[in-house]
Amino acid sequence: MISLDSVTKKFNSHIAVDNISYQIEKGEYFALLGPNGAGKTTIVRMLLGFIKPTSGSIIINGMPVSNPDSRKRIGYLSENHKIPSYLSGLEYLLRHASLIGLSGHDAKEEVGRVLEIMSMKGREKEKASTYSKGMIQRIGLGAAILGKPELLILDEPVTGLDPIGIREVRKILEDLKDDGVTVILNSHLLSEVEKTCTTAGIMYKGKILIKDYINSIVKDEETLEDVFIKFIEKENE
Amino acid sequence: MNNFLKITGYTIKDQMRHKSFYVLLGIAILFVLMIRGCYSGEYIVNGKALDNAALALNASKIIFQVISYGMFLMVAMLSMKIFSRDFEDGSMVLYLSRSVLRWQYVSGRIAGTWILCLAFMFILHLTIFLTVWAKTGGVIPGYLTASLICSTNLLFIIICVCILSLFLPDFISAFFTIGLIFVGFVSEGGYQVLNSDLAKTALSSTLNSDPTLWRVLYPKVFMVQAYAGSIISKSEFTGMGIVHPILNLSCYIFIFMVVLLICFNKKEI
Repeated sequence: MISLDSVTKKFNSHIAVDNISYQIEKGEYFALLGPNGAGKTTIVRMLLGFIKPTSGSIIINGMPVSNPDSRKRIGYLSENHKIPSYLSGLEYLLRHASLIGLSGHDAKEEVGRVLEIMSMKGREKEKASTYSKGMIQRIGLGAAILGKPELLILDEPVTGLDPIGIREVRKILEDLKDDGVTVILNSHLLSEVEKTCTTAGIMYKGKILIKDYINSIVKDEETLEDVFIKFIEKENE
Repeated sequence: MNNFLKITGYTIKDQMRHKSFYVLLGIAILFVLMIRGCYSGEYIVNGKALDNAALALNASKIIFQVISYGMFLMVAMLSMKIFSRDFEDGSMVLYLSRSVLRWQYVSGRIAGTWILCLAFMFILHLTIFLTVWAKTGGVIPGYLTASLICSTNLLFIIICVCILSLFLPDFISAFFTIGLIFVGFVSEGGYQVLNSDLAKTALSSTLNSDPTLWRVLYPKVFMVQAYAGSIISKSEFTGMGIVHPILNLSCYIFIFMVVLLICFNKKEI
């Protein structure tokens, strides 16, 4: 599904991503973990073609990311998601629907389905400027799952959500498992990752320290948080 | 292509959501309507009554240019925030995280802004056209054609501001573009004045009528305005150099657009 081959990204002299290679298979729920500045968001931005790798290649569904068709079946939720304040949630979702090729009745039906899932029915016609952070996050996630994407890239999806909202997001992601959707999740909430994802990669200073099944990484009596801290401390020694 | 049209449509729709758009349009129309009084008066110079039709034509020509230059300012202000606002409010991510090509996004944004400003300017020129018709009973045949010709300048300004806004702060980009137009105004305006019959007669012995190369190659924003003015008054147009100002400006639009697309393609989002 996704293949990163010797990917390096430099910003002037700073190496944000350092010669990373890994594959993510179809249906995999992959968590990209790491402290701030580890290079997680840089990888996500490269997957979406927002920035180009300095060297190496990224292939999604057999297409290089420079090909916009590689994003046809991708849903993306950015960190600190924003919705233009002059748009309502409904208009925002209809705009996304139109850009993925849905129109007329199909678009309205799909947007209605997503609004239902995101518990935003009844508030969809209000302007985004009146939404709370959590509501913006819900609409953003709704836009990401619009049109049943094959790949979901979620950068800190539960930021700003209350515990009920977090549980709802978890439920949505669990439901998507049955549809064979591949998920890449960037999150600081390791307990959340442990509940949702099957595989994880720990990043530090632009490198992937480990990528494996979570139940292989986390040994008995340990939590993902313990393992994460252990790896980072080991690198700092 | 489909995405380009969609983004063009969204741009027009989004700009028209802003109340400031209607306030500006309202003020501009009000200003234009306030001028209508000058078409109904009787003017006497040195005891002779002036021909109302000729006066209306000249007044309309001046107002035509005032509206156009006012639009240049407005268009520069409107275009300077196209990319920065999209980046800040999440619109850029909305489009580019989908299978939208960067050229489709940039061209759509520019085309939408241009069509909107063109329509804005056309409405103002149409108001003058209709006022002249209502007050004098006559029509100025080339007036609306001239308005469409001037829209080339609007497109040039939008593209120029957009390129600069990729490297400079928004306001500086607009200011720099206005400066670029002002230099042309002085250079080409001066050339036209010095090549007028009156100046030729008075200063023929001291004038060198061949302009320097940079003046010939300079973006001919003022000359396009002058050309539009000559269409209104059906007078002879004196250009600078052998290249027609519309062709000159079209070349700049094409080159600047290519540069803009190349630069935006390299932009990190």
